[in-house]
Amino acid sequence: MADLLAQFREQLIELLPRLRRFARTLTQHRDDADDLLQIALEKAITRHAQWDVSSRLDSWMFTIIRHAWIDEIRVRRRQGTHIDLDAMVESADASQRDDRVEMLAVQQALARLPEEQRMAVSLVLIEGLAYKEAADVMGVPIGTLTSRLARGREALQKMLNAGEAAP
Amino acid sequence: MKLSDEMLMAYADGEVDDVLRAQIEAAIALDPQLAAAVEQHRRLRMQLRHAFDDTLHEPIPDRLLAALGTTGTSGEPASNVIDLAGAASARHRAGWHWGLREWGALAATFVIGVSLGFALLPRSSDIVATGQGELLARGVLATALSNQLAGTQHGDEPVQIGLSFTTHAGDICRTFAVRGEHLAGMACRATDGWRVDLLTAAEVDSAAATTYRQASSSLPAVVLALVDQQIVGAPFDAAAEAHARQSGWKR
Repeated sequence: MADLLAQFREQLIELLPRLRRFARTLTQHRDDADDLLQIALEKAITRHAQWDVSSRLDSWMFTIIRHAWIDEIRVRRRQGTHIDLDAMVESADASQRDDRVEMLAVQQALARLPEEQRMAVSLVLIEGLAYKEAADVMGVPIGTLTSRLARGREALQKMLNAGEAAP
Repeated sequence: MKLSDEMLMAYADGEVDDVLRAQIEAAIALDPQLAAAVEQHRRLRMQLRHAFDDTLHEPIPDRLLAALGTTGTSGEPASNVIDLAGAASARHRAGWHWGLREWGALAATFVIGVSLGFALLPRSSDIVATGQGELLARGVLATALSNQLAGTQHGDEPVQIGLSFTTHAGDICRTFAVRGEHLAGMACRATDGWRVDLLTAAEVDSAAATTYRQASSSLPAVVLALVDQQIVGAPFDAAAEAHARQSGWKR
């Protein structure tokens, strides 16, 4: 049993960078994302016995992160916290400026999407999940997933095109 | 055939079957606009991935590794602390201003549980035992969690059961208060028994916990905060509680 838990931990460590990225796309804030991920990791360790070894660990973790995030929203609504985009701007490196500006533009466009579309875009286009896997993580039928993805894409494209057109 | 944008999107994502793919590729060959649309879908994917590239290369903060239990808890006092999974990192979390403010209820839960609740416990307790990094109910607490129904208890049992409910993870959890010990908390059904997720100091009103409303109003705020955090739907009514007991508290 101890070996299984050790293996489980090792696999989680390998996944950590991607899990952080997913948490970041949900929260749009570095510290919030790490807080969210910390909660999710603690839950995963407590419930590692519930993970079906034949299934994908990343999908399982994304699901846990999503649930933790939904819980967090409830807490935040009560506390009235807002998303901190300024911190992202500050974190931009002065060199490679154009590239940074584009990265920030994409991040901010994603941040403006409704949460359901943002999650679909993040799971499929950033994390590379298949439609079916992403639908399972979000707990929706595949048709719902594809329509959210399509609407999210369209909105992103509009925002980014508008940005390019501006001087 | 008319190709919808959603079909082109699915094609760009590699989500179409061989037949449709052949049709789309034939159409693209004839229509530069379709080719441009597909190219735009692919470009957006690359832009999105690139926008979050940095995240993948940032050093992993210690606290995330600590959450996995992979770094030692050096510097943590061993006395009066029962090794509850996550307790050490939760205490760590309580040290940040953000954590305490934003996760107030949850963090406070662990802080009180660790600093007060466990300190009150003798090393080998009549109601809890440590196992595999978890705190498991034993003795009268385990018996009450498995058998007692909130709707039918008399109020003079050593353990009073409060709310029973299902969590986001699908576990069945119950709140309880232990008379005499002045402890209250929340336990969830696990494969090897009742996992005590929270144990804290509490005054137990002997007349309380005979109805659901009273059960919840007599629970310490930290317990309610944890319930609020984890509950899906409403707490069990008497019928649901009885049914859950019959099913062995399995999900």
